[in-house]
Amino acid sequence: MTPIIAFRGVGKRFPGVVALDHVSFDLRQGECHAICGENGAGKSTLMKLLSGVITEHEGEILIRGEPAAFRGTRDAEAAGIAIIHQELNLVEQLSAAANIYLGREQRTPLGLLDDAAMEREAAALLAELECPIDPRTLAGTLRVGDQQLLEIAKALSLSSDVLIMDEPTSALTESEVARLDRVIARLRHRGVTILYISHKMDEVFRLADRITVLRDGRHVKTVDRTATSPREVTGWMVGRELADHGFHGVRSRGPQVLEVRRLTLPWPGHPRGYRLEDISLTLHAGEILGVAGLMGAGRTELLETIFGAAEPTWTGEIVVDGRPVRFMHPAEACAAGIAMVPEDRKRLGIFPDLDVAANVSLCGLRDAVRGGLVSRDREEALVAGPIRETGVKTSGPHAAITGLSGGNQQKCIIGRWLLAKPRILLLDDPTRGIDVGAKAELYQLIDRLCREGMAVILTSSELPELLSLADRIIVLADGRLTAEFSRAEATEQRILEAATGG
Amino acid sequence: MNPSVIPGRGWRLPRHELALLVATVAVFVITGWLDPNHTYVTNWAESSEIILRNTALLGIIALGAAVVIIAGGIDLSAGSMVAASATTCALILMICSEPGDKRLVTVGPLGIATAIGGAMASGLLVGTLHTWLITSIRLPPFIATLATLVGLRSFARAMCLFVTKERWGSESQQINVNTPFFSWLKEHNVVITTGTFLVLAILTWLILSRTVLGRHLYALGGNEQAARLSGVRTDNVKWFAYCFGSLTSALAGIFLMADSSVAQPGTLARGYELNAIAAAVVGGCSLQGGVGTVPGTVLGALFLRLVIDAVSKLIKASADVYEGMIVGIIVALAVTLTQVGRFSRTGRTLFAGGRGLAAIPTIATFAGLLAMMSSGNVEAFQGRTGLVGTAVGMAVLAALAVVRWLEGRRTP
Repeated sequence: MTPIIAFRGVGKRFPGVVALDHVSFDLRQGECHAICGENGAGKSTLMKLLSGVITEHEGEILIRGEPAAFRGTRDAEAAGIAIIHQELNLVEQLSAAANIYLGREQRTPLGLLDDAAMEREAAALLAELECPIDPRTLAGTLRVGDQQLLEIAKALSLSSDVLIMDEPTSALTESEVARLDRVIARLRHRGVTILYISHKMDEVFRLADRITVLRDGRHVKTVDRTATSPREVTGWMVGRELADHGFHGVRSRGPQVLEVRRLTLPWPGHPRGYRLEDISLTLHAGEILGVAGLMGAGRTELLETIFGAAEPTWTGEIVVDGRPVRFMHPAEACAAGIAMVPEDRKRLGIFPDLDVAANVSLCGLRDAVRGGLVSRDREEALVAGPIRETGVKTSGPHAAITGLSGGNQQKCIIGRWLLAKPRILLLDDPTRGIDVGAKAELYQLIDRLCREGMAVILTSSELPELLSLADRIIVLADGRLTAEFSRAEATEQRILEAATGG
Repeated sequence: MNPSVIPGRGWRLPRHELALLVATVAVFVITGWLDPNHTYVTNWAESSEIILRNTALLGIIALGAAVVIIAGGIDLSAGSMVAASATTCALILMICSEPGDKRLVTVGPLGIATAIGGAMASGLLVGTLHTWLITSIRLPPFIATLATLVGLRSFARAMCLFVTKERWGSESQQINVNTPFFSWLKEHNVVITTGTFLVLAILTWLILSRTVLGRHLYALGGNEQAARLSGVRTDNVKWFAYCFGSLTSALAGIFLMADSSVAQPGTLARGYELNAIAAAVVGGCSLQGGVGTVPGTVLGALFLRLVIDAVSKLIKASADVYEGMIVGIIVALAVTLTQVGRFSRTGRTLFAGGRGLAAIPTIATFAGLLAMMSSGNVEAFQGRTGLVGTAVGMAVLAALAVVRWLEGRRTP
């Protein structure tokens, strides 16, 4: 039988990163096929290709045996492929029925909107999905689980026969998850092929017929569920060789500088109710504490809460140098000797309109002031230090920051913070989207700063990075601390098991 | 990108400012040559006085608008702030004068100082109100300053009626100001307003390009989240920006009141906010925030006033009728010109699709009608205005059709 979708040597490169590399596997008509992989394994890129969000790629995608050349999401829709994104795509101000038929509105013979017909059909679709909502309800007032079913209803109304679900349970309550399971069973009964993306082993093994594992953009294996075990799949997800950067020399651990006790950060309006719950940790001068966890586990929230950048609604205690603190603004954290390099370099880190010098000098600009005015000579002298120390490759301090590579931009942001002379450095996934060479340089920089006595908390989506850099590793899963390992105890397998609850 | 953001690296003018300077000189030379009376040569003193005074008044407000825009905001309330400041000034003068004095000639130095101080204080208060609305209530800057644009003028008028009734027993929509100090100000208005404008421009330039606060303004406008995460007290920086915006309007209010010897809150400086924003935008400020310079803004204001003056000279029409059209066309052209490069890089076309096709006759019709109306004031074309209009309209139509045809050939 011809596979409904076949990937043949599919590849995708972004500047500096190979997101997908010669991926080949088939989807069979009517199966539920799970795609597993760590963050950055290439799952999302693959789905974006299949749903027409990304149109340029290497290799071929065959749909029912025919090569597909999508020019956009509409082509994918026309081919019967629908995607339910993690972030839902609804117009919150329109009714449920209007959302289902957006862009394909039904009309009366007079050319006016035929709301009655659309609501009738929407109600039938929603009833089939066990979604007991009035089709006239505004989409924005629905619960996340119902919004998701609304998207599925939309896909059904398009008579899609391939449905991609990207981590559909990440924001659902337990009863909503059970309902989704029943909906998936019913969809399969109708002959819909489901591509289920998840890194939660229990879901994958409950729902999937076959499992495909991706790692670092490559296809590792496609197996029948019955022929494998969660442990084996986690092993395939990890299974890469540990890059040895030679940081195993003993670091001298200094006094304790930071302690977090029973930190809880509420999340109003979310079924989980909290972003972080009951987190306790300690950090000493001269050590690197690694924070592992999947996307959405609460890594960024933890750092932002310590740094005073999150809403100050948390409970618990944060103690810096033996003094309890509650920072209301990053400036206060900065004054207490804490620095944070944020996760999303483009959105939260760089100032695209300013040059390299101005990007670096921001945190220490007051030191370049003479007689109330910023002295340009002093500013240049000021930034020369961190630019040299972090090894930024730039044609000069007045080059445009946007002309630098991601790695060099990141070094500029770290350099910016070095000017504030912090004793605690929070690094939120600092090597994301950075090429391999620059990564190694950043590792060396972080290692050196730590040996000079800085206390570092490092989060990362890449386990090898944590394993080679960190002295200790804590693991977050769904906002809770699920494990803590010393360097000797930690393995990728154990960390991933703690992070996936598998 | 834009190296002009940290100005004064050497004294090389960045490209945008240089282009504006060339355009300004070109307009000046062409007008001087085409103007049948050659006013710029024969009567240069008066011509330059008019242009300088108008540029200075627009420029003072534009500097405030530029600072707010660079900080990533927008201040729509400038015109009403001018009216409110002038009214505040006049009302304090009135209270400090003798009860029966309706020309306000009997105010002492202390009263004058209080009046000026009060007008400036009103700017500070409005700026603080804006910041509060934007940072605490989280209103978008557009909405917050739209509210004061509408509200402040009405408030000033009500105050004017109330205080005149209380003081003089009869309501008045306006207050005449013949105080000797302000008459002196009016007499020397060219020197004083131009001087104030230049001093303010230098001060603003110093703040923006040479102080920590200035750097924080660019950082705030360029990437507010990153600025906050770098420890910049963004709310304080916003407070400075909006207060600076309102204070420049308050200052312009005092000069405008002195110039017209009357505070008339109903009509004073109506629409000035849009001209000020236009001057800043023509001068290279980006409404996205984070980009803009003082030299650019000064040149933007000068260029706008010069073109307005040139058009009124060449077609002998009343400047304020044509002012809006001129400002509108220049703003659209200035921003388009900065994007032409991007158009050719991304392969986008000016007249793509059916809407592009529909735009061509629209532009041609406007051009033709404009040519017809303006030729009515030129002696050589009298009686043949319809012909001129049709010819210009057809020519524009043909030219744009050629452009679209070329574009169509380039993109298959």
